[in-house]
Amino acid sequence: MSKEHVFEVVKNVIIEVLPDIKPEQIQIERNLRELGANSIDRMEVVTMSMEELDLKIPLMSFAQVSNIQGMVDVLVENYASVESN
Amino acid sequence: MIVTINKVGITGMGTVSSIGNDVSTFCNSLRGGKSGIKQTPIIKEPKISVDLAAKIEDFSFSDSIDRFQNVSEEKYDHAKRLGRRAPFVIQTSIISALEAWFSARLHDNKPLPERIGLIVAGQNSTQNYQYDLISKFRKNPEYLSPRYALEFLETNQIGVLSELFGIEGEGFAVGGASATGNVGIIKGYQLVHSGLVDVCIVTGVVADLSPMDIQGFINIGAMGGKKYIDQPEKSCRPFDTQHEGFIYGQASASVILESEISATKRGIPFLAEVKGYALNLDSNSSANPNVNGEAKAMLSALNQAGLSASDVDYINTHGSSSPLGDKTEAEAISKVFKDHRSDLWLNSTKGLTGHCLYSAGIVETIATVEQMRQGFLHPNKNLEIPICKDLQFCGTAAVDYQVDVAMSNSFGFGGINTSIVLKRR
Repeated sequence: MSKEHVFEVVKNVIIEVLPDIKPEQIQIERNLRELGANSIDRMEVVTMSMEELDLKIPLMSFAQVSNIQGMVDVLVENYASVESN
Repeated sequence: MIVTINKVGITGMGTVSSIGNDVSTFCNSLRGGKSGIKQTPIIKEPKISVDLAAKIEDFSFSDSIDRFQNVSEEKYDHAKRLGRRAPFVIQTSIISALEAWFSARLHDNKPLPERIGLIVAGQNSTQNYQYDLISKFRKNPEYLSPRYALEFLETNQIGVLSELFGIEGEGFAVGGASATGNVGIIKGYQLVHSGLVDVCIVTGVVADLSPMDIQGFINIGAMGGKKYIDQPEKSCRPFDTQHEGFIYGQASASVILESEISATKRGIPFLAEVKGYALNLDSNSSANPNVNGEAKAMLSALNQAGLSASDVDYINTHGSSSPLGDKTEAEAISKVFKDHRSDLWLNSTKGLTGHCLYSAGIVETIATVEQMRQGFLHPNKNLEIPICKDLQFCGTAAVDYQVDVAMSNSFGFGGINTSIVLKRR
């Protein structure tokens, strides 16, 4: 699973959760808070992205994540470990 | 000491129902005797045996909310954001509450946030929402939306509506089985009357029943729809000898209760005054109604209103089409109104809307107020042979009639009796 693909999935989820956001505003280095997401929106982006990618990662793994990049990294890492199993 | 009587009235109303998605359409349907009861396709598993209901069909939140864009762009945007991905029971509450809010002109002229209260009349309104999530949850609990923790709580309605309208006074949810709507109006009246708030919005939520809930009502023997399975419009027959149980209906309905002082200050007329109310219990854990409890509720409401039985022109009955329920209410009315019983008019809105359960009391208050304001009484569409001859039931067509004082009854499982008295303005 490429990082680009995971970012694309996350981006679509963000558009669904935050309808006021324009797709071009969603850049990987930005964080969800500055895009207007509250804490529940952010948790929802995580769970919906996991579901889209068919991944189950403990939510604690995202605790240190500070931007979209970080979230994508955790998803990609776990995706890789699923694939190698 | 100067004692001022803090009169309480209704200054705004709104609804989303099977027979109209605003008060004016709803009122026209009442006058025309339009029934919302239909055969509804059963799509969920397991299939249940009764498929007659008065459902809010083809509801689209974004289409329903568009009509409010011109009234207040800001409220429209906010409501859209709050409701876009919300469950059906939240979306319908937003629509009925917005209509009521705007009709009371609270968007351009409202009291301080802490002087506005909010009561959500609803219980167990997230049953079907949960039922729909169960199979997915059993497979993948990890994917449960974090929003679930907010949304399975009845009080999510409080959060959403208070944020939308900027309400900071008292707010809570009430339940009273089939009398929930009246309980909401009574609690709202008390908040306004006691001076805790100037304005109180009371929103009755849609009873979004899961298949399990419907089967429960079938198994306890409360639900009708068997004899007239092929003629859905005839299935709900309050006070008719062929009645056999209630038919499920869906509606959200909201009213704005306001003190006369506040309404006068804002230059908004009362649509009707709430003159009196009563809420009493039978001390009964079962489903059966009680003639004494019902009579007591009607008498207490009249007492509180300072009116006598002969002042009442019309009763919007509980009339659920339940054989025992209809018989008991008819006896209680005879007991309270004695010789006047054959002079006052009776109808049951449930004959057209089905039994909207939690919101029924508010739906029927709106029906009562609109009949008073428009000068008519809606038909008892299916009343062919009444169960008793000494009461004056409305016929199968609407009649022009001027009601000044009306009563609206709601009775619920668990021996919950309510009655409210309304006066035309």
